[in-house]
Amino acid sequence: MNNTRKVILLIGSPRGVYSTSSVLGNYILKKLEEQNFKTEVLHIHSQLKSQSKREQLLDKIENVDLILLAFPLYVDTLPAPVIRTFELIAENISEKQQERTQKLIAIVNCGFPEASHNRYALATCEQFALETGMQWIGGLSLGMGGAISGKSLDKLGGMVTNVKKSLDLVSESIIKDEKISEKAIEYMAKPLLPSKWLYTFMGSISWRIQALKNKAYSKLNDTPFI
Amino acid sequence: MKALILNGEKDNKASLNKYSKIIIKELENRDYEVNTVILYEEKIADCIGCFGCWIKKPGICVIDDYAHKIATMFINSDLIIYLTPVVFGGYSYQLKKALDRMIPLISPFFIKVDGEIHHKPRYKEYPSILGIGVMSEFEKEQVELFNDLIKRNSINLHSPNYASEVFVKNKDIDHIQQGINNLLNRVSDKNE
Repeated sequence: MNNTRKVILLIGSPRGVYSTSSVLGNYILKKLEEQNFKTEVLHIHSQLKSQSKREQLLDKIENVDLILLAFPLYVDTLPAPVIRTFELIAENISEKQQERTQKLIAIVNCGFPEASHNRYALATCEQFALETGMQWIGGLSLGMGGAISGKSLDKLGGMVTNVKKSLDLVSESIIKDEKISEKAIEYMAKPLLPSKWLYTFMGSISWRIQALKNKAYSKLNDTPFI
Repeated sequence: MKALILNGEKDNKASLNKYSKIIIKELENRDYEVNTVILYEEKIADCIGCFGCWIKKPGICVIDDYAHKIATMFINSDLIIYLTPVVFGGYSYQLKKALDRMIPLISPFFIKVDGEIHHKPRYKEYPSILGIGVMSEFEKEQVELFNDLIKRNSINLHSPNYASEVFVKNKDIDHIQQGINNLLNRVSDKNE
């Protein structure tokens, strides 16, 4: 298998390097670098800030073999800047009328316990690939993203065993130039914690502690706009 | 009753203008007080994912821009209309940047809805949602995706009702008017 392929990781989280999207995407990137893939990471939010950066983003995307897009679920679908990126890529393709050769993989994570919340976001990514002539390689969907919250997978122990299994399988698929396997999708969608109740209980405690630190505890249930 | 139209037009080419005019006319015929926001004209920053609207200033986004005004109008309306070109089965960037900033309207805490976890409501009442998508050619998968997305948004925003439809561009005015009328009937029936 040739090892001169170029992969770009697009991080769609405004939290950038501190995001779960970055952790998941970079795990795969590291595996690919070991196989001498040429890799690059771009943060969508900062890349959209100026015309020159937007052009740079489009140029880079034109010259890669695989786009690995990792983002958090926002209001049931893609964060606005990721949609903007899709719009820009589609306009660029339509102007240049070039045939696409790029492949696309998407990884979505959400703060709800059920990974299934992400299904419409992945469907949108697939539609984008179809419409722009890219090859859809598949999508991964992670629930309970709050339990990772930008922390290194190596520090999270057994909780992320299935996440790592999934990312390892995806890395192998990329190396072999194959589609993402059903097994990889299944592993990623498995809950990180044994029960929804435990996850939401811990989440609620975390919100309360953070509000307490910000002296906002008594305002947690405020309704300021009425 | 109050209605808010969030017009997700991509730019100043006014491709959604005729839809907006028909919606306003039909809403006014039904005695709605209508507010319209053409989103690309307003200064609305992208959500930065800081959760400050939940843990620093609960209920209020920490970014002080036009999204505050939209959030105020949003929660004080009976009906929100998402008017948008259909972009890969979803919303335009212009519409989504505003919707991402409506997170302060819900609570960080969790609630189970039909066996699935969602965020709890912050307010006692929320508006119904009417999704109106426009696309140049009919694409079944994208139309279904758009309708699913409106349904999902209505669950997460605790809307009492929702309805949606995708219109293919270049249909005549009568066809659009009839379609919007039917949609408003569907939303109103359940609101009453």
